[in-house]
Amino acid sequence: MSTPVVSLSHINVGDARHPILEGINLNLEAGHFLGIVGPNGAGKSTLLDVITGLGPLDNGHVDLFGRCLRRTSRRRLLKKVAYLSQMHGAEPLLPLRARDVVAMGLTSYNAPLWRPAASSTKITEALAQVGMEHKAENDFRLLSGGQKQRVRLARALVREPALLLLDEPSAGLDTEGQDRLYQLLRRLCDEEDMAIIMVEHDIAAITAYVDSVACLNRRIHHHAMRGESIPEHVWHDMYGDHMHVMAHDARCIGCHDPEDK
Amino acid sequence: MSGFFDSEVMQAALFPALLTALVASSMSVMVLAHRLSFLAVGVSHATLAGLGLAVVLSLPLLPTATVVAVLVALLLTPMPKKIGLNEDAGTGMLFAGAMALGVVLLSSANKYEVDLFGLLFGNILTVSDTDIRWLLLVAALVLSSLVLAARSWWSIAFDATTAAAGGLPVTGLRLLLHAMVGLTVIMCVKLAGIVLTTGLLVLPAACAWFWGRSLGSLWLLSSAFAISGTLLGLMFSYQWDWPSGATVVLTLCSMFILSWGGSWLKHQGPGHNRQA
Repeated sequence: MSTPVVSLSHINVGDARHPILEGINLNLEAGHFLGIVGPNGAGKSTLLDVITGLGPLDNGHVDLFGRCLRRTSRRRLLKKVAYLSQMHGAEPLLPLRARDVVAMGLTSYNAPLWRPAASSTKITEALAQVGMEHKAENDFRLLSGGQKQRVRLARALVREPALLLLDEPSAGLDTEGQDRLYQLLRRLCDEEDMAIIMVEHDIAAITAYVDSVACLNRRIHHHAMRGESIPEHVWHDMYGDHMHVMAHDARCIGCHDPEDK
Repeated sequence: MSGFFDSEVMQAALFPALLTALVASSMSVMVLAHRLSFLAVGVSHATLAGLGLAVVLSLPLLPTATVVAVLVALLLTPMPKKIGLNEDAGTGMLFAGAMALGVVLLSSANKYEVDLFGLLFGNILTVSDTDIRWLLLVAALVLSSLVLAARSWWSIAFDATTAAAGGLPVTGLRLLLHAMVGLTVIMCVKLAGIVLTTGLLVLPAACAWFWGRSLGSLWLLSSAFAISGTLLGLMFSYQWDWPSGATVVLTLCSMFILSWGGSWLKHQGPGHNRQA
């Protein structure tokens, strides 16, 4: 069995009175596409912060590529990790071309000025992957919300990461853009052996593309593999008793087909 | 205007003024990108406390002011942002506190020891050889830091979360940036004084913001605006016997208005499309 890309053991964040994450255990292999769903405040973004060493970790252990994530090893391990954070729309309006934004994703970008920062070929390739190569020279400030999000995704991809973390990447994208994004992510898992963890709200939108779905609300209530149903009580545990589970797509991971009963 | 270049006073002032322009304009790109204009105001006013301490304790003026400026700039980094006390509130508090301390200290000094007008509004024409050595040391530190960290600072300004997730030591780099803003303020105080220093730290990059499209082009344009503005300002100051610092800042203000107007005209041109 190969070394997991990510291995989380007994992760706890927050104190006993205000727990944010409780007893999270998770292993992710190369080439696996994991979707994480859950209500607001469930700790989804916190979980991604824990994996990158950004968030406070009160208890537990994080391994990346078989190595313990510590303050001393963090910078080296994160060279193979890319992170697309939630888009808040509050980025400062810096004068930048789209290609300059993508260049920031390269690990060589932060080197001293006497070292070359950017690989033009890699930047063009990353922009082409998200269909934005024709906007490479455009002012990033003047792009639409969806175009900005695609450029931000290219900034993550230009790193050629072994692990890609995405926090609501479909924000700002139309339905067609969302489908193209998920298809691209699926292809990266299948062809590049990239491991992906994606936080999304809409389980129905991602279900045709991911390998498994983790239902998170402070703890992982269920981890459903492709073709597996999620028991109805899991949804109630996560979202409360006021919600009703409806089957709407036979391909949907975790969705019940009433005829199964 | 030929008398300007023949004047010994102006010849002596030209090198420190242009050196200050180069360093301040380079840092001004980061000041604008990280929204540190108010921090620059606070740190420049806090130097009054440093100068007050130097006068009362008979310490060298510039080194003492430098230490105080850097300390104040660093104190603003660990403000508890999550409860809403960010650099903005911190600057307001330190600005007033340090200014008050400076006024109290200077009030007890002999009025002939302190050139208050020079401190407040700058006087590059009275720069000594010791001052120049100190300015050179400060300039070397700031420019070296820029060479080492400019791209990281730029990356953090654009998206600090992703920069941190990529392994950049964001807190350490911010501390270094604030310390360098503190050092640059000291250089500017000699040219433009406590009150006008922010002009040198904001206006050059603000002029370039209309035209630059990358870190490199912004840096080059900002330096070009600052150097030409300083040179022109000193010329006007010599020609009409105006205070040097104020004239330089006024020239840069005029350049900003021209730059803004030029950019507006450019965007009114035929076929220009602002849409993505």
